[in-house]
Amino acid sequence: MKTEKSWTNFTNWFAIRPRTTGFLLFIILSFGVISVSLLRNHIEKEDERYEMNLLLDDAHHNMEQSLKNCYTTTVSLALTLNNDGIPQNFDTISKKLIKSNPLVSAVQLVPNGIIKYIYPMKGNEAAMNLNILDTEYLKKEAEKSIETQKIYFAGPLPLRQGGIGIVGRLPIYTNNTFWGFTAVVIKLETLLKTSGINSIDHSNYYFQISKKNPKTSKEQFFLPSKKDFSKSYYLSKSISDSDWKLYLIAKKPFVIYPQILFRLIVGLIIAMIFGAITTKLLKKPEELEFLLKVQESKLLKNELKFKTIFDQAPMGIAIIEVTSNIFLETNNKYCDMLGYTFEEIKKKGIANLTYPEDVASSLLNLKKLNEGKITEYSSEKRYITNSGKTLWVTLTVSPLWETNEKPTSHIAFIKDITIRKESEKLIKKSTDRFKSLINTIDGIVWEYDLELMTSTFISKKIESILGYSVNEYSESPTFWEDHIHPEDRELALALSVRENKDYNDRNYEYRMIAKNGKVIWIRDIINFVFENDKPLISRGIMIDITIMKESEKDLNDSLQLVTEQNKRLLNFSYIVSHNLRSHTSNIESIISLIESAESEKERKEMMLLLKSVSDSLDETMKHLNEVVNINTNVNLLIKPLNLSKYISKAKDVLCEQVQLHEVSFIENVPDDAMINYNSSYLESILYNLISNAIRYRHPLRKPIISINLYKEKDKDVIEISDNGIGIDLVRNSDKIFGMYKTFSNNADAKGIGLFITKNQVDAMGGSITLESIPNVGSKFKIYTK
Amino acid sequence: MKNKIIWVVDDDIIYQTIIQKIIQKSGVFSSHFSFLNGKEAITSLNNTLEINEEYIPDIILLDINMPIMDGWEFMEEIKKIKTKINKNINIYIVSSSIAIEDKNKSKTFTDIMGYIPKPISVNDLIAIVSKEYN
Repeated sequence: MKTEKSWTNFTNWFAIRPRTTGFLLFIILSFGVISVSLLRNHIEKEDERYEMNLLLDDAHHNMEQSLKNCYTTTVSLALTLNNDGIPQNFDTISKKLIKSNPLVSAVQLVPNGIIKYIYPMKGNEAAMNLNILDTEYLKKEAEKSIETQKIYFAGPLPLRQGGIGIVGRLPIYTNNTFWGFTAVVIKLETLLKTSGINSIDHSNYYFQISKKNPKTSKEQFFLPSKKDFSKSYYLSKSISDSDWKLYLIAKKPFVIYPQILFRLIVGLIIAMIFGAITTKLLKKPEELEFLLKVQESKLLKNELKFKTIFDQAPMGIAIIEVTSNIFLETNNKYCDMLGYTFEEIKKKGIANLTYPEDVASSLLNLKKLNEGKITEYSSEKRYITNSGKTLWVTLTVSPLWETNEKPTSHIAFIKDITIRKESEKLIKKSTDRFKSLINTIDGIVWEYDLELMTSTFISKKIESILGYSVNEYSESPTFWEDHIHPEDRELALALSVRENKDYNDRNYEYRMIAKNGKVIWIRDIINFVFENDKPLISRGIMIDITIMKESEKDLNDSLQLVTEQNKRLLNFSYIVSHNLRSHTSNIESIISLIESAESEKERKEMMLLLKSVSDSLDETMKHLNEVVNINTNVNLLIKPLNLSKYISKAKDVLCEQVQLHEVSFIENVPDDAMINYNSSYLESILYNLISNAIRYRHPLRKPIISINLYKEKDKDVIEISDNGIGIDLVRNSDKIFGMYKTFSNNADAKGIGLFITKNQVDAMGGSITLESIPNVGSKFKIYTK
Repeated sequence: MKNKIIWVVDDDIIYQTIIQKIIQKSGVFSSHFSFLNGKEAITSLNNTLEINEEYIPDIILLDINMPIMDGWEFMEEIKKIKTKINKNINIYIVSSSIAIEDKNKSKTFTDIMGYIPKPISVNDLIAIVSKEYN
């Protein structure tokens, strides 16, 4: 336990000092790396030394072996001497020896120190007869071999025969007296070659051979060397039978190997990285702790903030437990709004606080929320406050748990909207009033949005006026256009388009077709509603003016009838006046003449005249009577009449004249053709027109009268035409059908026939026309009603 | 005085008989001619202009309503030949019509001297002549 604690303390010490720890780690690692590197370097060095030893041993061994071989050669050479010391078969043996020992370039026999025999001679002539014991630079070494009585390799020295060579001399004794030397000459080069010195890797090492100078005893180096190697690493070995020393020198001084240096550096870098990472890692908790503190303070601040919001919010907030619906917390505003304390609210519960009618829906919503069917909801509901008042609120309920969590509690916001609700109620009341007012107006009230181009309102009166329901109207965007009377549509639409451009209030009348097909006269009174000088809405009332229009029409018809009758009466009175006056004036004149008569004869004459006036007056009266009869006979019997029969009847009456004037008829009337007419009028009309046609026949041709019956605009037309003298219509058009209008000198012309005919046709509700060209003929057309 | 010529244009034969009597009674005309319509009258006038200008009437009594050519048409015709006539013809409308339209229409013709509603009397004729020449 204690150790554990101290361990914890120990680790904590490091944990809180990330930089120090990092640095320490770096140092430790660096130390390790360096140690390893040094060790490694040392091993490398040892390896090298070992290698050098091997090399040196090898070379040394080779050289010794070569020199031994030379010794053998000298010994062999000595054997050529006979007992007298005279060489036997020197050349032959020498040849064999040189052949067997390629190291040797030449062999000599040097009796008493004088070179007497040489093989091969060629190239060595210069050495012949040289006394080596007398020659200064050779003497010492020669004496040394005598002294040791062993072979001694002298040199290297410059050879008389050229080059540097080694001369191995073996002192020979015959009968214990010094005879001389047998010598082998070895070219230094050849020696070096055979010893393998030349074949070593010169990049790392090189050999050196030294010899103690016989005179100065100083060490003398005689392989060419670049520098003094005393400071370099080297190994040396003495060569027997000579004062030579073989050196192996490392070319490079002992330094740290580059690959090891590289590893060292990599190791140090790794150590550094480790140190840095450790520092960083150790620093992390510190940062996290700092963050934690910041978050903590934030959290605290937020909590304070939310607490303040909760308490000071201008809306009621309550937190309610999910399953039990118990109030967990409410803010002051919530309590104020309901007029209860929190405890009272908690005690009462949601159901008791809610307006009875709203309880069911409130609980349903809460249930849905708890079951997760909805995540939140808003509604408008009522509460009952402590004072018993109804409180209208907008309620927003949201869950206080995440979707994947278990439901805990939800938060409810309430906002007092009682005033708004009351105004809404008032608005609805006044709207209803307006609606009922509008619906009592005896006209279809409508409204049209000019921007949206749609109808926005139509009053219920449309049902009683046009028979269509409000729905039928609103379902069809073109209801109005579609139900205008076809004859008025174009004009009404044109007016509508024009007025909708000018935005002038207007008032126009047109017909519409009601659902039952009846024509309804409408007066549309239209107003435009402006806002900022921009017309937004057109509004109007369509008033049913059918009854008015009908009475107006009746009135117009009556007026026309009365005017017509009046005109006829006036015309008639004029005719009467005129015709009677012409007679009365005549009577007046005659009476005056009778009074002033100078003789009985004259008086008688005047009396006769008076009688004729009386007769014509009587006739006139008859005619006028006839006309009056026509005009006053309102209840004329009208029935279908066979036109053909009536034409025959008229011809029978006029048969005398027809025969006399050889009149021919062209009749185009079916035998069974019937027309609705008054019997006596039809008789009279046909008689008058046919007799006229005969009377005004052309003097130069036989009269032809054609009678046709056809339809013109659904009306029967009786056409009677002749080839008579005709009438100049240009001059007489206004007089043709007048009374007592005559247009010819015909004595029979009385000017009454056409007048009567015209009156009869008029009385039948039809009309009569005349087309005529003088000297060609006339054509009368009688139109029926 | 008794050298005036009078023409009566009227389709009423009875009236023609009566006026003849009245003309005789007035005793102010040298001669008198009757015509049954305007056409007859204008034809005679043209003939008279060609044959004997002495017989051109001084006074014409003109009825309005007549067949073939009525009084107004006659007035239109006389306008056409007016330049040929070297004599002043006094034309009077004598009609049984008392319609104001006819009376007003007569005023539109400058050649019509007056409108006399029927019946015309002896005194009327004398008055015309005396007014004419006094």
